[in-house]
Amino acid sequence: MKEIFILAEHRRGEIRDITFEMLTKGKELAEKTNMELAVVLLGKDVKEHAKTLSQHAKKVLLIEDEKLENFNSESYQKVLSHLIKERKPLLTLIGHTSFGMDLAPSLAASLNIPLATDCIDLEIEDSALMVTRQMYGGKVNVKARLRQAESYLVTVRQATFPAEKASMNGEIIEIPSPLSEEAANKRFIEYVLPPPGGVDITAAEVLVGIGRGIKDESNLPLVEDLAKALGGVLACSRPIVDKGWLPNDRQVGTSGKTVKPKLYIALGISGAFQHVLGMKNSDLIIAVNKDPNAPIFSVADYGIVEDLFKIVPSLKDKIYELKAGKA
Amino acid sequence: MDILVCVKHVPETAEADIKIDSTGKTIEKAGLVFDINEWDDYAVEEAVRIKEKLGGTVTVITVGSEDANSTLRKCLARGADKAIRLSDPKFEGSDSYAIAKILHKAIKDLPFDLIFTGAQAGDDGYAMVGPILAQLLGIPHATMVKKIELKNGVARVNRELEGGLEEIVEVKLPAVLTIQTGINEPRYVSIMGIRKAMKKEIKVLGMTELGLSENEVGEAGSWIKIEKLYVPPVEKQAEFLDGTPEEIAAKIAEILKARGLV
Amino acid sequence: MHFELNEEQKEIKRAIREFCEKEFTPELGLEFDEKEEFPMELYRKAAKLGFTSMRIPEQYEGQGYGLLEECIVVEEMCRAEPGIGAAISLGNLMVPDILLKHGTEEQKEKYIPPLAKGDATSAAAFTEPEHGSDITRMDTTAVKQGNEWIINGSKEFITNAPIADYFIILCQTDQEIQPSHRGQSLFLAEKGMAGLEATKLHGKMGIKPCITGSLALSDLRVPENNLVGELNKGFYYTLELFNGTRITVAAQAVGMAQGAFERAFNYAKNRKQFGRPIIDFQAISFKLAEMATKIEAARLLTYRAAWLYDQGKADPAATSMAKAYASRVAMEVTDEAIQIHGGYGYLADYHVERYHRCAKITEIYEGTTEMQKLTIMNFLKKRI
Repeated sequence: MKEIFILAEHRRGEIRDITFEMLTKGKELAEKTNMELAVVLLGKDVKEHAKTLSQHAKKVLLIEDEKLENFNSESYQKVLSHLIKERKPLLTLIGHTSFGMDLAPSLAASLNIPLATDCIDLEIEDSALMVTRQMYGGKVNVKARLRQAESYLVTVRQATFPAEKASMNGEIIEIPSPLSEEAANKRFIEYVLPPPGGVDITAAEVLVGIGRGIKDESNLPLVEDLAKALGGVLACSRPIVDKGWLPNDRQVGTSGKTVKPKLYIALGISGAFQHVLGMKNSDLIIAVNKDPNAPIFSVADYGIVEDLFKIVPSLKDKIYELKAGKA
Repeated sequence: MDILVCVKHVPETAEADIKIDSTGKTIEKAGLVFDINEWDDYAVEEAVRIKEKLGGTVTVITVGSEDANSTLRKCLARGADKAIRLSDPKFEGSDSYAIAKILHKAIKDLPFDLIFTGAQAGDDGYAMVGPILAQLLGIPHATMVKKIELKNGVARVNRELEGGLEEIVEVKLPAVLTIQTGINEPRYVSIMGIRKAMKKEIKVLGMTELGLSENEVGEAGSWIKIEKLYVPPVEKQAEFLDGTPEEIAAKIAEILKARGLV
Repeated sequence: MHFELNEEQKEIKRAIREFCEKEFTPELGLEFDEKEEFPMELYRKAAKLGFTSMRIPEQYEGQGYGLLEECIVVEEMCRAEPGIGAAISLGNLMVPDILLKHGTEEQKEKYIPPLAKGDATSAAAFTEPEHGSDITRMDTTAVKQGNEWIINGSKEFITNAPIADYFIILCQTDQEIQPSHRGQSLFLAEKGMAGLEATKLHGKMGIKPCITGSLALSDLRVPENNLVGELNKGFYYTLELFNGTRITVAAQAVGMAQGAFERAFNYAKNRKQFGRPIIDFQAISFKLAEMATKIEAARLLTYRAAWLYDQGKADPAATSMAKAYASRVAMEVTDEAIQIHGGYGYLADYHVERYHRCAKITEIYEGTTEMQKLTIMNFLKKRI
């Protein structure tokens, strides 16, 4: 029976969510096509993870090696290309994460098997693979077909599928590591944790999120005043941190924090998925953007198509009025 | 330090209206402003800064039609020394894999210590070209790079992980690094830069000069074939508030009040 | 005939556009409009990138381009922000032009590079309280005493007077001669010289970041080698100068019109009334079509006048036509842009009324529209 591989992603002792999200999709595909779902787990001393994962799939293919202690695309690529050549799975799913992005393309090229990255959906028709992905910052969806092959590789966007719940009692198959030496060209040194201190935006009840639409650093006081009026703090999308206007502990999104405040006001944020993933579960989302087609409006509860510089001062005044009325 | 930077000429779509064209396989390009891919912008700046510090050369390479010259010129104006454009009607329809193969042919005989690409492109967002190119060249790579230190034939880089976390890895040179935004602050194009850039020639190479065959490029040489584009279905649509700014502000204030947020 | 910018000019346009879109924000424009302050930091930043020395030769730290390239830059600056754009495009006004044509090598080497690099600003003082458009006689006098010239008088409406490091001053050096304009000369002066005092003028209608002032000159002593060019040729040098600088005023007007047009266009696309964007109403869309057409005509007149100048065929009639027409178009287009915005257009923070207030100056300075029309007719009479 052909297999579908899910590459488990774990870091610093924890299995990352993307693994369970891929399991949801993988299970659905395996059932439809009558294939076997197998989780591939690489690492050092990860038997606990193997046990956890065995509750989610028929098989866990476990390869332990101290040379696999930390993620290293070079070592991972060697092990996986060995495994894929040997077992010829129809499909291997890898997360479209910093881990998967470092690994999947060169792995696909080395095996010369087709790869589609950052997919938000996929289906198998006969033995052909169709994927759905996005272009132009989420403004357009694309259906694409992968070149016919014996084996395919797909990286899956984070938080696209719900996490799979434990429902099985699968088998753990230990496979000897094919690595004979440490990676020669690439070496993991250490993790760099975000600096401590600063503002914890994940704890705030009200967040005023700003994006490119803020235009200039000199406009920060204006939005800061609004945040203050609401008793909240400023958060932002990636470009604001890239420009150095706010420290990176204020960044919301896949490369920043995931937040779930009672109120999230998005000002001049277009709504690239990386940002949306970090804030879409907020209780109430109000978005102000000049572009009526901005993707942010499909996660917002209320939308305002206007220049934020027109809205913010009036809104701030109204809030103070309300507060004064209450007092 | 000789650095090659692979750049892409892409439409600016963050604030533009996007329409799918009549073939349903691409967007209408008329009216869109094209510029260097945002990630590549940082990559070029990083390369130029390294050159300014350590000496050497920066060469920018793109796969694209004559329109892409403006992106190459911009790079030259900001300090790149040479520019190469890989162009052939047969390249049409190439995905990132085919693009990486085209770049590989052009690069394999050039002298270099480092190759930079943007971590991804703002149009198709594959994030594939860099690591595939590294694989084809048989050299190591690191993606999503936010900081680079070079010493003794090794690049010590910070890679961006999720949730504010970074990792430091070392790769042996020569290597491919894909550059994440925010690694630096790209400079403006100066008039002095334009004067210099206009004196430089853009070298153009086609399929035959590169020694490529038709089945290696275009749709035939690609992994992915686009079937159709469509506007993403709306899962949820915001309720839009209209009126003058004052009226809108009043409506928002009411909503916040009703929810006990003010 | 060739109606397209060349590759190099397109690169220049793109570079200045990118710079202005990021730096000349409307909010900053509003701030400096309210403060009536020269954006010195931004001026220096623009200068370091070469945007303020387009026409200065490379040997004096400039960019060595022509007037057409300068017009492209000026247009983009004023498109992005009319007040800041005007101020920065006038930062080293006229002094390099005059010195390049008539200065001694020593004067050029001393004064032009700091202006090109943005380390200094300059002012050219022609207008007097009693002599605006008519500069055929100056009340400001310069009298030779030993190896110095002693200057007395006053100048009015002088761009940059309160912030300039270097001045060129038009003085009457021969009181007796008839006609009087044959007895005028130009002198260089520097900030801090005794007897030179500048006063800032407040309350201008527009281009408020561009600082205007008056000069009081009382026994201002300048060394004799501060005479620019030949004695008693000042009037002719001044007229010749206007042939070039008036074209850049036309470029300012084109830029302001373009900027206001784009604001109106975007507003009309997004503003909904009776359930549809107002751009779908013919009353609005025809307005926009006419605005765009006028801007294009003004731009072509301006570019052609600049091109003639760069070819060494400077044509005062073409220059005056460009200035008179472009400045009128700027007034009309910025007016309609406000109209399209309705009530919002009347508010400062919609950033469109500022374009209208700023545009007015282009009909006035460096020769009023009426003076341009006289010039046009004088040349037409000779030709036809």
